[in-house]
Amino acid sequence: MTTHPDSAATPKRFTIPIGPQHPALKEPGFFEFTVEGETVIGATLRLGYAHRGIEKAVVSRTWVQNLYLLERVCGICSHIHSLAYCLGVEKLAGVTPPPRAQAIRVLIAELERMHSHLLWLGVAAHDAGFETLFMYSWRDRETILDLFEQISGNRVNHSINTLGGVKFDLTAEQIVSVLKAVELMEERARYYLDLVRNDPMLGQRIRGIGTMSAAEAHRMGVVGPTARASGVGRDLRVEAPYAAYTAIPVVVMLETDGDLQARFIVRIREMFESCRIIRVLLDHLPEGDLQARMPRRIPEGETIARVEAPRGELFYFIKSNGADMPERIKLRTPTLCNLGSVLALCIGRQLADIPMLLIGTDPCFSCNDRAVVIHQAGNREKWTWEQFRRYGNEALR
Amino acid sequence: MNAVETALQTALEHLAPLNGQVTTPEDGRRDVTINAGDLLEGARLLLDSGWGYLTAITGLDHGESEGVLEVLVHFCAGAAVLTLRIRLARAGGELASLCVLIPAASVFEREISEMFGVTFSGSPDTRRLFLPDEWPEGVYPLLKESPAAAGEA
Repeated sequence: MTTHPDSAATPKRFTIPIGPQHPALKEPGFFEFTVEGETVIGATLRLGYAHRGIEKAVVSRTWVQNLYLLERVCGICSHIHSLAYCLGVEKLAGVTPPPRAQAIRVLIAELERMHSHLLWLGVAAHDAGFETLFMYSWRDRETILDLFEQISGNRVNHSINTLGGVKFDLTAEQIVSVLKAVELMEERARYYLDLVRNDPMLGQRIRGIGTMSAAEAHRMGVVGPTARASGVGRDLRVEAPYAAYTAIPVVVMLETDGDLQARFIVRIREMFESCRIIRVLLDHLPEGDLQARMPRRIPEGETIARVEAPRGELFYFIKSNGADMPERIKLRTPTLCNLGSVLALCIGRQLADIPMLLIGTDPCFSCNDRAVVIHQAGNREKWTWEQFRRYGNEALR
Repeated sequence: MNAVETALQTALEHLAPLNGQVTTPEDGRRDVTINAGDLLEGARLLLDSGWGYLTAITGLDHGESEGVLEVLVHFCAGAAVLTLRIRLARAGGELASLCVLIPAASVFEREISEMFGVTFSGSPDTRRLFLPDEWPEGVYPLLKESPAAAGEA
């Protein structure tokens, strides 16, 4: 930057727009950073490039139709959205799902948490320039997607939940597959944990970067692994247990460094905890029905359902006026919470740290925007899906 | 009394100066209906005493016949949920922005603003968050009379 004689008194400010289409962004979002030299002095956000208006759409659909709509809010944590919705509606109806259904809900939620963390690990590694780690973690993630397919027939929108319980039981064969996958996940998580703790190259990109103190995280309302990496033990599975978590105490994974490395470590350590929870669940899987009977009209009332999504607290506010459609559903995703906080945190930091700061929250724009991706016609794959899958998985076996 | 109830009682003690009307919509929750002018003070009373964090802001339209729009500001501490409820007129409602206390409130406020037409005074950023640039002025999609899909009106 050239310095003009008259600029010495008033430092020159630049505004740097990033997005909505940008190589550093995996999904569309628009950020504007105002910088003075290398220091960020202002940060703003503009979203909605893929807004679907789901909160509007739910009020003209029945309680059952909404189950399918809300599961499609997010393509990564689809199960947790339908779970939050089901828990809320069941609370309004005064229905308690059978124990076996509650156990299966949690089992799927923990599998989902692992695949979401692996997906994030890949994205973060890719942004740090560590392409091998990206390939490894996404390959391992396939194991869990395969399990989903085996259990429900679907890789992404599993449709496990239904109002009053779950739709799919676990067969003995599926239980064996889950246990096998859990063993593999633990082995891989050990490898990743060693990597993020000790790899010197990765360490340079993540150690001491984007540090958030516990006090900052607390006041800002940061949630999920981002908060836990700063020593704030917010985890609804422990603080306000739901479904089978009431019977299985979860150990909260806390790190105190608050930097990007801590956010890596927290997420990988959570994979071990997910594996442990799944084993306990399968050891004590209750027998019995999968569904309780639900009324078609939901009694009048307002409820709040909060669950621990892979990215943190997911908040649903549901209001019923006694009809067969909801009066209002408000959903607040963890990403909105965390993005707002991280932007406030950007002020006063070096511009070069910003991309990794954003990535550290595991932003999910689709959740945020409640967006849909439309594939354009004529976008042909050169490989068949089976070829892709085989290519990714066979290297592991 | 369990821990959640204790937390809620503490919150209510902090909020006592506002003389809000307290209701219990369900277990683990208290709603405190306060005057529109007291929102910032309510948030300050909670946060200064270290009670919980701002979790979400919900807009709730009661429709044209009632002419009321409610803004629900949810604070959580563990399993305890405390909601500050504010009743506004449907047109031209105004609230003080919480951004001076919680910078992260900006995104929640921008969403309420563009979806329900509530103005947050003192907010550092009043641009739209989700709605497109070409969205018509003065059309608030989450108000009840707003059509759910193009051509439905």
